[in-house]
Amino acid sequence: MLHKKSKFSGAPKRVLTSMLLAGTILTAAGVTHAAMASEKVVIAVSPLGADSNLYWTTTGAFIFPSMQTLVGNDAATGKYDNSQLAESWEHNEDFTSWTFKLHPNAEFNGEWGPVTAADVVHSFNIHTGDDAKLSGIKQLKTATITAVDDHTVRFDLPSPVPNFLFSHAGRGSLVIYSKAQFEAEGIEGYETAPAGSGPFQYEGREVGQSLTFTTIKDHWTGVSPEFDEIEFRWVSEPSTRFAMLSAGEAHAVTLPRDLREDAAEAGQSVLSSSAGAMQSTMLFTGQFMNPEAEETRDARTYAWADVRVREAVNRALDRDGILEVLYGEGVEALPVYTMDPRFPGYSQDLADRFDADYGYDPEKAMALLKEAGYPDAFDNAAIPLVVTSLAGNPEFAQMAELVQAYLDVVGIQTEMREQDWATGNTAIRGFTADFVTPMRNAPVRPAALGVQIFFTDQASPHLNVGDPEINDLGAKLVSETNPALRDELLQGMFTRIFDGYAHIPMAAVPASVVVNSDLVEGWSFPGSTSSGLSHYELIDLK
Amino acid sequence: MIDFSVNRVSAMRFWVRLWSLPLVPITILLVVFIIPAFFADFIAPHDPYVPNLRARLQPPVGFGGTWEYILGTDRLGRDILSRILHGAWYVLAVSMIGIAVGVVVGTTLGLIAGYARGWFDGLVMRLVDISLALPAMLLALALAAAIGASFLSVVIVVGFALWAYFARQVRAEVLLLRNSDFVARSQVAGSSHTRILFRHILPNVMNTIVVLATLQVGIAIMLDASLSFLGIGIPRPTPTWGLLVSDGRDFIATDWWISFFPGLAILLTVMSANMLGDWLREQLDPRQRQI
Amino acid sequence: MGLRTALMCKKFKEYAVLKYLARRVASSLFALLVITVIVFLLSHLSGNPVDALLPDDASQEQIDAFIRDWGLDKPLWQQYATFLGNAVHGDFGTSLKWQGEDAMGFVLDRMPATLQLGGLAILMSVVIALPLGVAAAVYKGTPIDNSAQMFALLGQSMPNFWLGIVLIWVFSVWLGWLPTSGMGTIYHAILPAIAIAWFQVSALARLTRSAMLEVLDAEYIKLARVKGVSESVVIWKHALRNAAVVPLTYFGILAASILTGSVVIETVFSWPGMGWVAIEAIRGRDFPVVQAVIIAYAVIYMISNLVVDLLYVAIDPRIRND
Repeated sequence: MLHKKSKFSGAPKRVLTSMLLAGTILTAAGVTHAAMASEKVVIAVSPLGADSNLYWTTTGAFIFPSMQTLVGNDAATGKYDNSQLAESWEHNEDFTSWTFKLHPNAEFNGEWGPVTAADVVHSFNIHTGDDAKLSGIKQLKTATITAVDDHTVRFDLPSPVPNFLFSHAGRGSLVIYSKAQFEAEGIEGYETAPAGSGPFQYEGREVGQSLTFTTIKDHWTGVSPEFDEIEFRWVSEPSTRFAMLSAGEAHAVTLPRDLREDAAEAGQSVLSSSAGAMQSTMLFTGQFMNPEAEETRDARTYAWADVRVREAVNRALDRDGILEVLYGEGVEALPVYTMDPRFPGYSQDLADRFDADYGYDPEKAMALLKEAGYPDAFDNAAIPLVVTSLAGNPEFAQMAELVQAYLDVVGIQTEMREQDWATGNTAIRGFTADFVTPMRNAPVRPAALGVQIFFTDQASPHLNVGDPEINDLGAKLVSETNPALRDELLQGMFTRIFDGYAHIPMAAVPASVVVNSDLVEGWSFPGSTSSGLSHYELIDLK
Repeated sequence: MIDFSVNRVSAMRFWVRLWSLPLVPITILLVVFIIPAFFADFIAPHDPYVPNLRARLQPPVGFGGTWEYILGTDRLGRDILSRILHGAWYVLAVSMIGIAVGVVVGTTLGLIAGYARGWFDGLVMRLVDISLALPAMLLALALAAAIGASFLSVVIVVGFALWAYFARQVRAEVLLLRNSDFVARSQVAGSSHTRILFRHILPNVMNTIVVLATLQVGIAIMLDASLSFLGIGIPRPTPTWGLLVSDGRDFIATDWWISFFPGLAILLTVMSANMLGDWLREQLDPRQRQI
Repeated sequence: MGLRTALMCKKFKEYAVLKYLARRVASSLFALLVITVIVFLLSHLSGNPVDALLPDDASQEQIDAFIRDWGLDKPLWQQYATFLGNAVHGDFGTSLKWQGEDAMGFVLDRMPATLQLGGLAILMSVVIALPLGVAAAVYKGTPIDNSAQMFALLGQSMPNFWLGIVLIWVFSVWLGWLPTSGMGTIYHAILPAIAIAWFQVSALARLTRSAMLEVLDAEYIKLARVKGVSESVVIWKHALRNAAVVPLTYFGILAASILTGSVVIETVFSWPGMGWVAIEAIRGRDFPVVQAVIIAYAVIYMISNLVVDLLYVAIDPRIRND
């Protein structure tokens, strides 16, 4: 054996040499790669639900920075402003007719001419076509649009819509495409390179990887970003995004809460939106408050059909602890999901009572359960908790886990259901949902819109909790135009939801992004879009 | 060719070589895997499920942590050590049941296919082809979406991923055995096919099955981990090791202990199982046939 | 090869190869047909694309139009018949998620990315495993043998996504040698390829080791030694040449395992290949793409197996009779 070794040793040496050589080449190449061109900003976020240049065929999760809507949001306050295409707007007394005046100097990028009322009408028509999948598009579908003159458009609505600006701002139910481009190139033109009027120009995409835009010199708004290019990279693993940030490959990334903290400890900066961007909650599904529930979803068999169980569930949760774990700094407790101080219907009274009525009180929870005869008096005592994660809400899985642990303490039985978002939605839409699921409201809708979607039979019947009184108030709200009365109706609904413990409200959360502190000085954005991000032109580089 | 006499010799060598038992892997398997799986309730210092929000992200002893939480705590303040210990049972159950499914299905089909030949053999081999051509991960995703992720769905996927290997290997062995003298003798002596299969052929392929099964423990555990990574593993809060590693993966660079220790448990278990499998093969399979 | 086989007339050999090939192709096609049924059923049992692709607040009209457009209101067998009829012509429908993209075309567009990564991973595992296996065999029973086997085992004992993330932090963030993720240069492919390849090194090295041991024991090697041929020539020229067919025998399983590994690793490294498409499509309930991608996986696997089988036949004609 021994003599073999000496004769054999020549070969490994050659291998070693070539490996060293390869290592040297790799090192050299790596160094050149890490040196980043400073004029290109890279933002890494989790992949979108849809990857398309035709905005209306997506659910509206991401508005290209090259595209504009009619109404803007102020970067600092989130209030509606005229930073987008409309210079001013007005509405009639009962909110059924809205008129927008366009900026006279607004123009499309790439020689497609000025932005006119004809472009708005054209965009409206494609957005309300059969292939539209946009969230909130239902409202626009009932509207009729008229080009009053070259720079004025009017929307006429069948019923009062006091929140009409919401669809035209960050939520983006309507972004403006160029009619001239459509006439010259057809839909293929949009597919290959949609012309927009924003401060950036669409350059191209790598499917599943990235989207690139260049900065426009002398943009009509006078906005001039201090970089030449911006690239969005779709990266689904948070740790990979964190690595990109740490390696200087990305200027800004979105990260889940704990990683944000770790990034901050490592010297990176966490930037939060100036206003709450998202509300989160856990919803009881089924028409559990319906005294005559339909057979298909016999709410009476659910444990949460009993209000005492619902209160016990809420009392069992230490929200301060949960929110600290899930969201960290900047988060606020939410008295009623879909209620927001920025919109009509806000009730200070409920906010004040929140601690007293929903505060952490395990003894009270146990007493309530005892009174309700839980679990013996129930056919389905165990509460199925949905464990799921949704792009943008990685904390949902943990939310269910924490809630389960707290419910367990007071003796509420639970059963974890690991399922993806689509499966949960199938059950909800099919009226077969029998679980408690996390839910989000992003961007925060005007209260009147949100409450109808999540609690009444008006907007999304499948999310209706079945309470006749709430449904009744909801029906009245649809036709009510008097702001004071609307406020009153909304407060009535919120009070009913609050007092009936109709859900498990969680938090109002700002959007946040982590930036590489060596590369980026600051960036303010209001958290008014679905993704939470916007106002890229304000990214301030070092 | 294998026949009884060779087998007896190898059996004798088996006992003779018992002194060469690989003590290190066996000890590791016992300490990390088997004992925790059955006695976690008695040895785990904390409840693996109850969060303690005041003790979030405690580092392990030696890295600024205390003896209260020897291996540190996770994001919800749960003791990592207790979760690993309690997780062992689920890992054991998934891999054992999954492999058992694979062994039973694969061996039965492989035995009959190799012995009967003809159309049934053709059919089984096509099924093997089909099973190998469908990436287990994709099947798992589709299955989880269809029936929901559960202990059952994970076991099905593990069994599905493994059976074809057993079927193929066993069939190949049977093809060799069925032409051997002792099978011919039994046939002449008028033994029924069932008797020949289960009394004469099966014992002779048993060695292969045992070795292959030991080596598949690692694959089963890895598969379980990958399923957790894709969010279609055994549902929370069950602390299967795959879920622990997967949950902690975001924090590898910072709160490394969350995924490191469960990862270490997987590493030690899989390596030991493989070493044990290698040893078994050397003992049981004198010709060092490769799998 | 026996004398008798060599004497068989050439014509018969060609005929037999063709017959064998035809039989293999036919059985692969049958397997594919069964796979289409499985895939179709699973993807249609797994919930409605409506819920993945329409927003939370979609109206009933939006839902109805969507269901009508995609033929989701027809009976299942009818949907399958339509699907199969079109699939035979290579038409898997258009993607629901990636608007306007032809499903199979979209998958084929991503295929080079996966083949590139898989090819590199196979290359790496062979390049690492062969020397390891040879060293382990030559130094059988020594610490070199043990450490070579330990190193090989290590890759099989770590969850691949975990290994992938560790690699990113070590080589991209701390050392700054390689990019973290994405696709572009060959450097982007190195880390994901390692994360996929290491898992296979163990099995390959083990096979090489035992093949080497067998060869080193063979008569002609002993003869060569007796004749005074130097030991390194014996090992590298004679022994390794014979042992080098090991990856070939193992190629089918290697290919399957690497394709499976790509599903997870492509997600970790944001590598836009077929694995990435598969996960995104299943999550988005994009039936046409799900079907296309799984069929594509199966076809790659079957073609690689067919090629291996043919190579076998070329090497050893007796296999045909099996």
